[in-house]
Amino acid sequence: MPKKPEMPRNKAPKTATAKTKPSPDAEAASSSLRCYNIPDYRLEHPEFSITMERDAATDETRYSIDGDLSADPPPIRDSKYLKREQCIEIYRWMLLNRKMESVLESLYKQSKVVGGVYFGLGQEGCSCASAYALRKDDWMGPMIRNQGALLVRGFSPADIMRQYMAKADSPTFGRDASSHFGDIKDRNVAAPISMLGELVGILAGVCLGARLQGRNIAGLTYVGDGGQSTGVTYESLNFAAVQKLGVVLVVENNLWGYSTPADMQFRVKDLAERSIAYGIPGVIVDGTDPCQVYDATHEACERARQGEGPTMIEAKMMRMKGHAIHDAAQYVPKPLFDYWQKRDPIARFENYLVNEKKWLSRDAHEKLVAEVDAYLEQERAAAESSPMPTPDQDSAHQGVYCPPGCHDIKPKYAEVKYGTAKKASAKSRQEAEVHLR
Amino acid sequence: MERDSSVFCLGEDIGIYGGAFKVTDGLIDRFGPERVIDTPIAEMAIVNAAYGAALTGLRPVAEFQFIDFIGCAFNQITNLLAKAHFRWGAPVPVVLRGPCGGGVHGGPFHSQNPEMYFVHTPGMKVVAPATAYDAKGLIKSAIRDNNPVLFLEHKFLYRRIKEELPTDDYTVEIGKAKVVREGRHLSVITYGAMLYIALDAAEILAKEGIELEVIDLRSLLPLDRETIANTVRKTNKVIVLHEDTKTGGIAGEIAACINEDAFDWLDAPITRIASTDSPVPFSPPLEEAFLPRVEDVVREARRLKAY
Repeated sequence: MPKKPEMPRNKAPKTATAKTKPSPDAEAASSSLRCYNIPDYRLEHPEFSITMERDAATDETRYSIDGDLSADPPPIRDSKYLKREQCIEIYRWMLLNRKMESVLESLYKQSKVVGGVYFGLGQEGCSCASAYALRKDDWMGPMIRNQGALLVRGFSPADIMRQYMAKADSPTFGRDASSHFGDIKDRNVAAPISMLGELVGILAGVCLGARLQGRNIAGLTYVGDGGQSTGVTYESLNFAAVQKLGVVLVVENNLWGYSTPADMQFRVKDLAERSIAYGIPGVIVDGTDPCQVYDATHEACERARQGEGPTMIEAKMMRMKGHAIHDAAQYVPKPLFDYWQKRDPIARFENYLVNEKKWLSRDAHEKLVAEVDAYLEQERAAAESSPMPTPDQDSAHQGVYCPPGCHDIKPKYAEVKYGTAKKASAKSRQEAEVHLR
Repeated sequence: MERDSSVFCLGEDIGIYGGAFKVTDGLIDRFGPERVIDTPIAEMAIVNAAYGAALTGLRPVAEFQFIDFIGCAFNQITNLLAKAHFRWGAPVPVVLRGPCGGGVHGGPFHSQNPEMYFVHTPGMKVVAPATAYDAKGLIKSAIRDNNPVLFLEHKFLYRRIKEELPTDDYTVEIGKAKVVREGRHLSVITYGAMLYIALDAAEILAKEGIELEVIDLRSLLPLDRETIANTVRKTNKVIVLHEDTKTGGIAGEIAACINEDAFDWLDAPITRIASTDSPVPFSPPLEEAFLPRVEDVVREARRLKAY
């Protein structure tokens, strides 16, 4: 029986009282000082910063790296929850994610893609492992590089390829591009738009709707180090915090927002610190370690399902390609690229499964890769053979408006039971003092 | 909210306070804080939360404390709500409502008429009742509509019009204008608080033997082009009157529609009476000069009658 959703109550703040004037030292050490804990589950804590420098001779302005990038990648942290089969499943999703994007790249180079292509290279562990923590009734809102999450949630590689090729049978019938699609019926995916940070508020609303229907669910979504700079991110997460809505926000700090480095997006040391500002738990994980990502997401989802409100998870990694396929990312300093290349999530997890845990034999691994390749070939062929839309055929699909009979809208989980006891209002209606007359 | 438990309200100060204009007064006692939600000051989050809740099959009614603050959520309304059904087949049964309009010395940020930003947005519906009867009928239609509806309540009218209303569950169809006063010499097409300006002018002009037909649009999107064309065919001379500023106001759109639907019936150019193209001034003498007045309608009607 799920816990009945509870309305958040305001708590009166604690005030420190003192009978005599304390010394400055005593005041500094006073217990009214607040202490915050942001758990950091990473097994390494690199210190580096990206700064602008100007070449004295040529005036060329570029980014340079300060800090020690010599360390070898740490081991994968054992998951507290994942069993062998689950780890292999996540690994398969990551492979599918990576290889699907390779197919998209080759389709682009054959001029079969309309517009640009966005890659999540280097971020597959984060997308797949986080989405893997969701249950059927939970919701997910993907950002542009979370195509792995879309796959985990039940969309096919062909769906995504058709979106990019603007085909008539894409999930949006060719009306919108890339990951801008969703499913309110079965897969519980909220479609993103191009503006950043909106999904946080949308998932907050989804959780609100579910709670009104007697269910506490988890609403997983993502925002980048760039995207989190928007005002709507703040408003939405604050709203979720105040209302105790189970938004699980994975802040994907991949160090680059298009061509702008993270150091030029915020002043805090770690984005997870921002959770303090909202009054919610925040944790830091290594975004290239699927076990860490899964564990943090799973715990956050459990909190959400208990009605304990939102969590912020900062996943640290790097975007290993440009913003989109046209962008060669020449602004990324090479030492930084090399550092993160050694931390490729698929290479790390393969090593973990095959060599360290010995959960997957070399043979079984080869079979797995071959199976994924064969599946993708099938999907690619299916997507390529889809027709392009025509205006006439398009008019057969849903219109700009939803007329009577077009959709039968009903509460998804259950009827709302709040405020349904039949009674008349006790309050008498009088002339009231209003804002402006 | 009694008839359909999927309906809930969210907005600033709408709960225990009952709303800045007491529109939601008593609702929290009757329906509880779960369905009458006081939000932080965050219009973007309010609209996004309404959208998200609509995705789970509920019918949110979101309030803007003053409709002027709708600018804070412009992106959310135009790019999320209005486009969702077309893009990915997700219906958005959300009502956005709030007090609009001037004449109450509210200044530039408490007196606006922002309808045209949203009339220009395919996917939205925009309604603006001028009578209590229509307000009740249209809010029910708006809530039951599966599309996002902007419901504009003119704050000047909040406590100035009092009507006895039928207690039954009636609705007023969105997209249907109303002939409020019949006349044969010229038509005044209007909506919102300006309806009463038009009716006052009609009384004055009736004494001179000039009969005004007054049309209350009630809905701005979709626009009732049929009723508009019918009145043009009947009187052949038209004034479009709105409190919204002139350039880009709906009078231009209506003139274009008449041009397409009933040009041959026109005996004179279409006249527009609207507020000056400027922000709404604060001080009463300045605001009075800014807004359309009864004298403006009378003057233009006499001129048109003689044309």
